[in-house]
Amino acid sequence: MPVTFTFGEFLGARSVIGTTLAELGEELPNLWVLTPDIGATLVEFRDKFPERFLDVGLSEQACVGISAGLAYDGNIPVVSGMLPFLSMRALEQIRTDVCYPNLPVKIIGTHGGLVGNGGSTHYAVEDLTLMGALTNMTVTSIGDPLMVGEVLRQSMSMTGPIYIRLAVGKKDKVLYEPGTKDIRIGKGIIAREGTDATIFTHGTTVAQALDAADELAKDGRSIRVVDMWTLKPIDEELIIRSAAETDGRFIVLEDHLAYGGLATRIADVVTDNGVHLKAFERLGIPQVYAGFGEDEQLRDKHGYGLEATVAALRRVIAAQP
Amino acid sequence: MVRQSLVVEGERPSVAQLEDLAFELRQKLLHLCGTYEGAVHIGGDLSSADIFTALFEYGLTVDPTDITNPSRDRFVLSKGHAAVAMYIAMAIRGFFSYDGIVDTYGQLDSAYGMHPCKVQLPGVEASTGSLGHGLPLAVGMALSARGRGETHRVVTLMGDGETGEGSVWEAALVANSNKLGNLVAFIDRNRQLMTSFDEERVVLEPYPDKWAAFGWNVIHIDGHDMGALVGAIDQLPATDSDKPTVVICETVKGKGVDFMERNLAWHAGSLGAADLERAMAALSATRVKESV
Repeated sequence: MPVTFTFGEFLGARSVIGTTLAELGEELPNLWVLTPDIGATLVEFRDKFPERFLDVGLSEQACVGISAGLAYDGNIPVVSGMLPFLSMRALEQIRTDVCYPNLPVKIIGTHGGLVGNGGSTHYAVEDLTLMGALTNMTVTSIGDPLMVGEVLRQSMSMTGPIYIRLAVGKKDKVLYEPGTKDIRIGKGIIAREGTDATIFTHGTTVAQALDAADELAKDGRSIRVVDMWTLKPIDEELIIRSAAETDGRFIVLEDHLAYGGLATRIADVVTDNGVHLKAFERLGIPQVYAGFGEDEQLRDKHGYGLEATVAALRRVIAAQP
Repeated sequence: MVRQSLVVEGERPSVAQLEDLAFELRQKLLHLCGTYEGAVHIGGDLSSADIFTALFEYGLTVDPTDITNPSRDRFVLSKGHAAVAMYIAMAIRGFFSYDGIVDTYGQLDSAYGMHPCKVQLPGVEASTGSLGHGLPLAVGMALSARGRGETHRVVTLMGDGETGEGSVWEAALVANSNKLGNLVAFIDRNRQLMTSFDEERVVLEPYPDKWAAFGWNVIHIDGHDMGALVGAIDQLPATDSDKPTVVICETVKGKGVDFMERNLAWHAGSLGAADLERAMAALSATRVKESV
């Protein structure tokens, strides 16, 4: 079934995953889909290719290990699940069974960030630090639901592993009209042009960054929004260029621990390349177990909601170095 | 996919020949252990030496000159710390040169390290070392084989100690749930962990019952009785059957060298010149005893 959508409206990334995998399954006879009991959106693939679909039940470690065994034998396995469990419970399997021999396993999942109101057992907030530490791993975090399909498709020709992080994946804002952005693994997307400051972000907070930029536009300020959806390898060139083109004023906004995710990666690029900034602020999850609440409430509570983002942009623009 | 020439020409080795080859494997193990300055996991190498010999010389359909043949049996060493025993077994089978192993083992940039790495040593089927990983890998390979309609086996060798890892039992459930009759797990049941005897620390018994309760076909043998090992291999079910098989091999850690047997000090160790001579003499004595 083709995906229908309206630009600016909402679509579930999960349904895009399901549809895309079912399509890819036709093209790639060695594509397998595995899940530890998170298979609701994989029904289409399961029904079309039952012999290449494996629900292992609640066994994340085995799920990832089995995917590596399949990949050793020339298959392309996609492991789909909830990221707090895949990224931590199966961390060693991802590192040792998948990344060490550099196998083409795709790990895709939901619940990246303070989303879904499941509490801290069900929020993946350290995952980008963990996955980013792994040699051979490509690390992505995607907000636009249609991009998920495109990235999955591109990942099929990768020789090594990839981690694809989503929020809840049930209701995601369509950010880009198909065909309007150059989507390439390792390249950031300028979601909106600007000259007074850059806000780097990824995943679910791209939409919020765009809203904040709209807010600043009312003051006559021009904010560049960079969707840095590939965290590793990071688009160094875009970071360095953005410093020059947006007056050396950066904000990093992410639904992840404020230290260890994108902000840290950008700070590394800035430091390693001797980039001179006038201001740098990071907005993300502090070192707390965040508690319950709706996504937006939690972002507000923990200081990286829309209001806080607007305030930070104003501070960064006003900063006198 | 038409490459199908793993058929062995001529007779398979007899039990007596296999015993000779296992003796050669142990001799080479001790020699390497006496040559290399660092520690070698000699205890678990010796307990699994007969299993390795039975697999590489009798059980596995493999061809050292055709290591990517899709029809080959896959062997995953889950107890990766027994890498030296596997390297030597594979060398005796013709995959590698023993001299190449003993000359470079553990050295900078050697393909032969403490735990096997597929990237550095083609012919090895998987990079292993951390325990509890081999069975899930083997399940993946077995699913792949069945999905493609291939008839080869996937065989893994675990230590009994590593079956304390939860991932082993996760994979055991998956293997049974998916009716993987092409999957065989050998277990080197030497009843020792690194620092303790497992029934004292972690009670695994009734061990065969545990596997049976997980839906596996269980074969329980003396893992140092070559005739029993051959018998177990001969009675493995057809690969299109619907139950995975575990072959629990009762073994002795350090088997063949009296002062290492059931001795916790010899989980890993190195042999000086004097120790090497003592160990070789002890090993030779077992041979004399057996032939009496």
